Amino acid sequence: MSVKIQAANVHVIEVKLRGEFNDAEGAAAFALLKEQGLTALKEVRTGRLYEVAGSLSANQAHQAGKDLLCDAVTQEFRLVPAAPSPMNGMNFWRVEVWLKPTVSDAVGATVAEAIAEGGLPRPAAARCGMLYLLNGRAVKAQVEKAVARSLANPLIHRVVVTEAHP
Amino acid sequence: MSQLAETSEDLFPILGKPAKELRALGDARHLSLSDPEWAAIQAHFKALKREPSLAEVETIAQTWSEHCKHKTFTSPIRYTEGRKTRTIKNLFAETIVAATEAVKKPWCLSLFKDNAGVVAFGKKWALAFKVETHNHPSALEPYGGAATGVGGVVRDILGVGLGAKPILNTDTFCFGRPDYKGALPEGAHHPTRTLRGVVAGVRDYGNRMGIPTAGGGIWFDDDYRLNPLVFCGTVGIMPQWAVKKEVKPGDLIVAVGGRTGRDGLHGATFSSANLGADAPSSAVQIGHAIQEKRVLDALLAARDKKLYGSVTDCGAGGFSSAIGELGADCGALVRLENVPLKATDLDSWEIWLSESQERMVLAVPPKSLKALEAVFASEGCELAVLGEFTKTGRLVVMHHERTIVDLDMKFLHKGLPRVEREAVWTAPPAGKAAGGAAKKAGDALREMVGHLNVCSREWVIRQYDHEVQGGTVVKPLQGVRHDGPGDACVIWPHAATGDMEDFSCFAVGHGLNPDYGRIDPYYMALAAVDEALRNLTCVGADPARAALLDNFCWASPEDPRQLGALVRAAEGCAAAAKGFGAPFISGKDSMFNQSKDEKGKELPIPGTLLISAMAPVPDGRKAVTMDFKGPGNALYLIGRTNDELGGSLYHRVLGRAGGEPPKVNPASAIDGFKSLHAAMARGHVLSAHDLSEGGLALCAAEMGFTGEFGCLLDLDEVPRDPRIYSNETLLFSESPSRILVEVKPENESAFLRQFGKSAKSAMVRRMGQTTANPILKVTGLEGSTILEEPLKELKEAWQAALPKVLG
Amino acid sequence: MKKPKVLILRAAGTNCELETANAFKAVGGEPELVHISELRTGKKKLMDFAILSIPGGFSYGDDVGAGKVLANQVRHTLTDLRQFVRLGRPVIGICNGFQVLVKAGILPHSNACDQSASFTVNDSGKFETRWTHLRINTQSSCLFFKGLPEMIELPVAHGEGKLVLKSPRHLEDLKKTKSIALQYVTEDGKLMGYPHNPNGSIFNIAGLTNPEGNVLGLMPHPERFVSLHHHPNWTRQTYRKAPIGLEMFKNAVDYAR
Repeated sequence: MSVKIQAANVHVIEVKLRGEFNDAEGAAAFALLKEQGLTALKEVRTGRLYEVAGSLSANQAHQAGKDLLCDAVTQEFRLVPAAPSPMNGMNFWRVEVWLKPTVSDAVGATVAEAIAEGGLPRPAAARCGMLYLLNGRAVKAQVEKAVARSLANPLIHRVVVTEAHP
Repeated sequence: MSQLAETSEDLFPILGKPAKELRALGDARHLSLSDPEWAAIQAHFKALKREPSLAEVETIAQTWSEHCKHKTFTSPIRYTEGRKTRTIKNLFAETIVAATEAVKKPWCLSLFKDNAGVVAFGKKWALAFKVETHNHPSALEPYGGAATGVGGVVRDILGVGLGAKPILNTDTFCFGRPDYKGALPEGAHHPTRTLRGVVAGVRDYGNRMGIPTAGGGIWFDDDYRLNPLVFCGTVGIMPQWAVKKEVKPGDLIVAVGGRTGRDGLHGATFSSANLGADAPSSAVQIGHAIQEKRVLDALLAARDKKLYGSVTDCGAGGFSSAIGELGADCGALVRLENVPLKATDLDSWEIWLSESQERMVLAVPPKSLKALEAVFASEGCELAVLGEFTKTGRLVVMHHERTIVDLDMKFLHKGLPRVEREAVWTAPPAGKAAGGAAKKAGDALREMVGHLNVCSREWVIRQYDHEVQGGTVVKPLQGVRHDGPGDACVIWPHAATGDMEDFSCFAVGHGLNPDYGRIDPYYMALAAVDEALRNLTCVGADPARAALLDNFCWASPEDPRQLGALVRAAEGCAAAAKGFGAPFISGKDSMFNQSKDEKGKELPIPGTLLISAMAPVPDGRKAVTMDFKGPGNALYLIGRTNDELGGSLYHRVLGRAGGEPPKVNPASAIDGFKSLHAAMARGHVLSAHDLSEGGLALCAAEMGFTGEFGCLLDLDEVPRDPRIYSNETLLFSESPSRILVEVKPENESAFLRQFGKSAKSAMVRRMGQTTANPILKVTGLEGSTILEEPLKELKEAWQAALPKVLG
Repeated sequence: MKKPKVLILRAAGTNCELETANAFKAVGGEPELVHISELRTGKKKLMDFAILSIPGGFSYGDDVGAGKVLANQVRHTLTDLRQFVRLGRPVIGICNGFQVLVKAGILPHSNACDQSASFTVNDSGKFETRWTHLRINTQSSCLFFKGLPEMIELPVAHGEGKLVLKSPRHLEDLKKTKSIALQYVTEDGKLMGYPHNPNGSIFNIAGLTNPEGNVLGLMPHPERFVSLHHHPNWTRQTYRKAPIGLEMFKNAVDYAR
């Protein structure tokens, strides 16, 4: 398994829909994963991941999350710590779907532009990934296979599946 | 100058190498060059007494690819039909082009040469139409493949003449059935996933670009499960002065739009190859619709200021084909160091060949550069001067101090060796259909309305913004509840022309039915043209002004039977064009749509022809929809019914094979269409719907449940071949050229007057009436009721089929 | 007669600007398409215009959230927008423009800077285009709806149109201040769920106005109903009413005169 190693000047900003709002994208992902045999799944919630590389400090990345990337009403955000989070059995899974570096990332380009326009240092690069938080018992290989057949295409995506907090 | 390729890693030594070795070298780079092509390249460089560079070989391979040169259609073919063998020198020229020249329409402004066909639309405007396929990329990555397919055809429209404004997208797909339960080879996506991804890709790119997606269709057949077909079409509008383009030596080569990265390398050559597990991942891209929207906005603003002399899009082959084409008649000198890059580690040949999306190339007189820069800057769109067009007749590409390409334009564009291929066509044995027991008419009809090939497409259509630009006056979903199956969309392009007083509109319709082609591709082609024109006529478009587009998707032309079927289809297209008096204005073909299935056996797609047709609707306020409008109105059937159940939906539902496919008689068909059009122009027609898959029964059911009125039909009144004694044949035969029409009783005689003599020849006949009770009731030949179905239930079955498999 | 100048705001990805301009032109306005970069450089000034319209589309691809990037730009570039509103000049945000107005904190309350509402993905999980029945809040003083019948029809086309509020308290506020301008209803005027409410918006809200009534944001597209022939049922003799969208633009232009 590969936990992403983050250099000092790479920040991953995680933006999630707050728990009180209906997550229609999560519901769609839930249905697709069930079709692929993850029958014990109870819920899927979604979010976006923004990987920003360049000269931004942690404070500036925080500011970008707050002012530019996170909706003040519906979303919450955090900087994803570089260290892996502690495990919690097989009941919760964190799935990150990133475009491979060879594939151009339109959203990433918009984000880099918006950060620069917001008065922060222009990032050297920005990439956007999808985050799926799975609630339900499963085996990692099973999750990986189901994701590769529904939410991601191994030809263009890099998928990272880790056990997660509830 | 020719200090070609100083460093040895730039070279690609081929001189003196045997064919086998060259083939291996080519395959390793996905070049898709044949032995005779390698031999021609070898001979060319032997005469020059030097080795080619890698970039030169890549440039030649791209330029000579099936994708760019359409070798199958333009190379000689030895064609054997029965005991007769003849040589076709150039299939394209002898069929589609020859027929178009024969019908000679003065309103055709640009045919076959440019990025799209162009026809006049009134005195001031012109419409450009192009349909492309993006099959292989969509098989690998459905979302990205379909999205970049839309992006590509939109750029074709931006790159036709001096650029047209896209005002309509059409999308037609062929997939395996979404409920396919069989095995699939490693790496292949399930048809359901392909469908969802393709629809989402078309949706996201088209919606973001602000182009209404309002036409198209879907065909399901398990033989498409490994090779789905994705046809993306775009119609654009431009002032007639912008149809002509010209590159002048001394013009600057200016690239606009997205940056260049390692995306989509080998797209052109890849699309000519069999789809295999070793597909290069770089051939797949996601697309950036907003980048393309920026290009669109800036380009059209610059066009109206007349700041450039020519333009083309960067598609397959990237700069190499865009600049190679623009400079074909003069020459070009390119400096790659000026190309804006996404990543800095690209090799020279990669920059030159990259297929990064959302890029266009302009030919700009030096004096206009400053103004052009200002326009693009104001839209936040990047621009770079890459060099200039010359009068050397050579394509020269430099990267810093190195010359990486120095090719004779004539060799590049005319040097492709033509190889003769074998083609064989064997007519199917005549005779009766076999297999499958008959079903009760009601049971068959209920099964047919829920069949995947005719059921409601609402699940798909609602996801497209089919009303952006505010001109969709006849929508793809029609009727009381806005959910019935319209025959074609009618577009009122006021947003583009700025003139809300002018109600000149146009319509776009389609025809496609590979099941007819399984019996005889010649009649498939005729039927497809007929269907497209029927659809246009039904909404009020002028069938005498229809322009056609052909898109052939075929398996390997190296198989003589496949190529024979292709010849047959092309000849059907020619016969249709001449018979209907409708010119082809553009077309495209996609070959090698076959792959190894899970057992390693080649699975070819059925030979598939999509005909797209476009015609003006002189006054959009006179357009007609297909829903019954009220009770007590007369129902007229136009066109003769024959025993033509071969390839029909009825046979598919019964599991029958063989039989006669529908055979079009273009002369009497166009007669009927023109008369109907005249009746519509006078306001005598309440609703009209064409008879296609499922025949009369399905047509009447759809008109009924969409308008929420019933009807009473008498089969004995159907204009028909007198040898037909079967009610089922009259209900379900798919004889072409037929349209069911609703007319107010007080308008009946005026309506019939438009048909002149044909009214007497029983080509049009009153055979029923609408009723308040929403029931489809049919009296059989023997005078008793043979079908009585509540329309509500039929509609429910018709609506439930797709959501059931897609969620 | 005086032709009020209408600023139709453009940015990368706006795509309903031309038909919106045609609609304003048809009712006697003088529309001008202005790119946000022209406002940023000062080449064009908001205060020179009588009406502001933020049209539909996918500004910046709706990357990061529908209208979010353009909303940030509006906050920073159109600094005189609040004054424009205070002066009572009409502002209309359609679809993406509505999302921009809400995310820029102009609606529901243009004098508070905080964002108190937002949009999420439609409950159906899909982008959808459909005609909707709508009820105008006759209690609200929104100038765009002056003299219109209570029940109207307009098409929607969006994927992220579910209006949500920061807290239930805000709904009571909106009711009290008569800020709810437009609701999705059934043909006979009832509040019902999908597909009548196409996105799952709270209290079926389709459009919001400020209490003063000169700012309107709505998800449906009035510029797609400016001719009788836009209505999906114009070919059925049952539909013979005036095109509602045109009336809305006319109200704004008449008011600005």
